[in-house]
Amino acid sequence: MPETARRGIDPRGPRFAAAITSVLLLVTVFLSLTGISTSKGTLTAVPRGFVVDPDGWAVQAASVAQRVFDPGFLALAVVALLFLWGVASPRTAPWGVLYRRLVAPRLAPPAELEDPRPPRFAQGVGLFVSVVGLVLHLVGVPWALPIAAAAAFVAAFLNAVFGLCLGCQLYLLLQRIGLVGRTAAA
Amino acid sequence: MGLAALLAATLGIGLALRWQQNRPRRDVVHEVVEPARLGAERLGERATLLQFSTELCARCPGVHRTLASVAEGQEGVLHLDVDLTHRPDIAKHFHVLQTPTTLILDGDGAVQTRFGGVPSRDVLELELARVTGEPVHA
Repeated sequence: MPETARRGIDPRGPRFAAAITSVLLLVTVFLSLTGISTSKGTLTAVPRGFVVDPDGWAVQAASVAQRVFDPGFLALAVVALLFLWGVASPRTAPWGVLYRRLVAPRLAPPAELEDPRPPRFAQGVGLFVSVVGLVLHLVGVPWALPIAAAAAFVAAFLNAVFGLCLGCQLYLLLQRIGLVGRTAAA
Repeated sequence: MGLAALLAATLGIGLALRWQQNRPRRDVVHEVVEPARLGAERLGERATLLQFSTELCARCPGVHRTLASVAEGQEGVLHLDVDLTHRPDIAKHFHVLQTPTTLILDGDGAVQTRFGGVPSRDVLELELARVTGEPVHA
């Protein structure tokens, strides 16, 4: 880790990755809004026929397999895997590789190289938000998918378009309430 | 429909945050900062650009470069960058909830202005000129 920290990265790389991520997340929001996560109306089999409940949440009546194969769930799972990749091995993460291979050679070299830790932390925040959405959906909570995807979308879009990094600003808040590394040096 | 609303809301948040970052806040406690507490030897004679950062702050290095070059161009103006990653006590003392946060201190070391986020160079220079009492050249 100290080695990569010294070398530094092109700060435009993470923004490029955030742009692609935000498009994927927007697709995810669309898929989860049209899937079982937000739809009502259930059909339950009973001994002599079916019971129709027009006000029941579809996701609550669905089996675990149906929840897993909902397109919105699958899309958010893919995004979560990409976030995991970005946390576990930022140098080999696909959008970063794409940036270095195809985009960076066409741009002027970066004015400054930056610390790779902040964008990695932001990927971790994205991973956390998407995993919460996935788990809540799996246990049958309605609207979990689109809300989690929308929250991650807002963060990725603000990073890509405005250069704002919500995950990074969050760090101090998390530290203040004692959630992350309180290794107070004397 | 839902997607358009989401996009519009996100754009709104982005524009609002950007506007906020370029707004100097002068309704702050005009406390005199002790350089020793921040691990610094001294403050600037005419003004100090006191920046708070963390290790995990993506925008802090950019603000560091801007502030360093603003301070370099002016006599008696010092740029201090304090890493709050391992100093929650300082973060608490100055009520820092986001990084980067930049305070402009006057010649006596009293806090005059506060910027949250990434202010533009023009806004910073204008505010610095106000604090040091320099006539502003347009």
